[in-house]
Amino acid sequence: MEIVVCLKPVPEAETRLRAATDGRALDSEGVKFVLAGYDESALEQALLLKESIAGSRVHAVSYGPGPRTEEVLRAAIALGADLATWVEAPPGTALDPIAAARALAAAITSVPHDLILCGKQAGDDEAGLVPPALGELLSLPEFSSVVDLRWDAGTSRFRFLRSTEEGGERWESSGPCVMGLQQAWNDPRTAKLPNILRSRKATIARRPLEPVPAGPRSESERFELPAPRTGARMIEYKTPAEAAQQLVRLLREEAKVFP
Amino acid sequence: MTAPILVVGEVQAGHLTSPTLECITVGQHLAAGQAPVIGFVAGSSARSVADEFSHVGVARVVVVTDATLDTALVAATAHAVAAAAERVGADTVLVGGTTFGRELVGRLAIRWNASAASSVTEVRKEGDALHVRRPIFGGRATETRRLDGPRFVLALRPHTFPVPPDAAVPSNIEEVPLPSLPPGLLVARRTALEPTSEGVGPSLGDASIVVSGGRGVRTAENFHLVEELAAALGAAVGASRAVTDAGWRPSSFQVGQTGRSVSPQLYIAVGISGAIQHLVGMLSSRVIVAINSDASAPIFRVADYGIVGDLFQILPALTAEIRRVRGL
Repeated sequence: MEIVVCLKPVPEAETRLRAATDGRALDSEGVKFVLAGYDESALEQALLLKESIAGSRVHAVSYGPGPRTEEVLRAAIALGADLATWVEAPPGTALDPIAAARALAAAITSVPHDLILCGKQAGDDEAGLVPPALGELLSLPEFSSVVDLRWDAGTSRFRFLRSTEEGGERWESSGPCVMGLQQAWNDPRTAKLPNILRSRKATIARRPLEPVPAGPRSESERFELPAPRTGARMIEYKTPAEAAQQLVRLLREEAKVFP
Repeated sequence: MTAPILVVGEVQAGHLTSPTLECITVGQHLAAGQAPVIGFVAGSSARSVADEFSHVGVARVVVVTDATLDTALVAATAHAVAAAAERVGADTVLVGGTTFGRELVGRLAIRWNASAASSVTEVRKEGDALHVRRPIFGGRATETRRLDGPRFVLALRPHTFPVPPDAAVPSNIEEVPLPSLPPGLLVARRTALEPTSEGVGPSLGDASIVVSGGRGVRTAENFHLVEELAAALGAAVGASRAVTDAGWRPSSFQVGQTGRSVSPQLYIAVGISGAIQHLVGMLSSRVIVAINSDASAPIFRVADYGIVGDLFQILPALTAEIRRVRGL
């Protein structure tokens, strides 16, 4: 099975966020970029499927500027991806999720794909638009918020669970299809040192960004940090019952969140 | 803006969801009385939902009564929505920012060739462009994006906008056929539904109040204290990664970076220290309450109200107090 995994480099969770001088986007100076959290789940899921189906390959595909995009692809290779393709965004390109989906779709079309896995959303812009847009661009079914994915060799169909507001939905589908992973059912593995060293010399296919067809786009025009939180108003009390009464009173009368 | 605005109705348990109603409010604001806000609903139960839709301030309701859409992919609904948007001449489609809504927006952005944004908390029309505000980085920052026209498709963040008042006069309902679907969209089917959280209380992504427990709860057996508080509040139950990793509750309960992101009106964190991986899943909640025995826990820096104390004493007292004021 040919499994494509779409990966996005995002600032690591502990990054101290600040706006760039033009105030339009995050200042990425000195920021360490890592594999987006849900993308890590998608990659882990791809590797698990590869291990369970003989003759499978995992192909990591990422769209973005260097060097961060190349780095997450090398990380994916160190974890077990067989192939990697980097769709290069010129430096300073404002990343629009729909444009990213177009760039990824163009790369995926030209490689074999029985299954396309993505994180359901990235930890930076949290748009969650790439998986469904990819599905539409490739004319394939797409499923977001997938939490438990299995391949049923007997019927040659994927069986999986989607976690939605209404609860769990059990689905089955033949491939190829696109999935947005919410969480792997195992914790993602970590790379072994020899594999990390080998990944540094691995070949990454580089693909220039094709001219984007004219059409609607969006662009970030302002990046803001919330006013610093002043810290919680601490409730003073002598007994637990008194603490409870005070909190409930504040929630009703001051915060007005409670009927 | 003079073109109509189409609001896509999402149905749960036979009723329009509250994120759908919020979309009507935003649609009316954008239309500013210059254009109609039109409802759209599809599925085998669409006819009865359309009646509900016709009473909440839309100019008319477009209905596709076709059971195919009940168990088919969102892609199929996107076909029906794009056809309806063409039919009524809409330039904007609004949908609640649920799992369904965000998938629909991603699909429609391509199918209907529109500028798209999800998790929108503010929207402003200026000339031919829309300016939308949305939380990013798990609520640790916000961005304002300019979306170029002429077409827009937005998923609005749930629990952000008011719901409209009921209309005195119901609007007209128009049934339209389901457009023919490419066979590729019917290769998948939903085989079963599993109710949320073992069937108790509202679901995490949807609840206006969430009570989450963390490592401080200490054992799986103690977790009932968190659940009883949630039950008294009519809240959904969440958990930190420590709890789901320890297997005290299934991973579907997890709030945070690798779990669910929630933005309820009220988030109560019990025995949760407040690691950034948890905070990014709940920071955009409107009001945050922290209960923790450690006064230096980072959760108190992001909370609005804090109680330093032993949760095994505070939670039963709080549950009792809430039951008392709610007359339970």
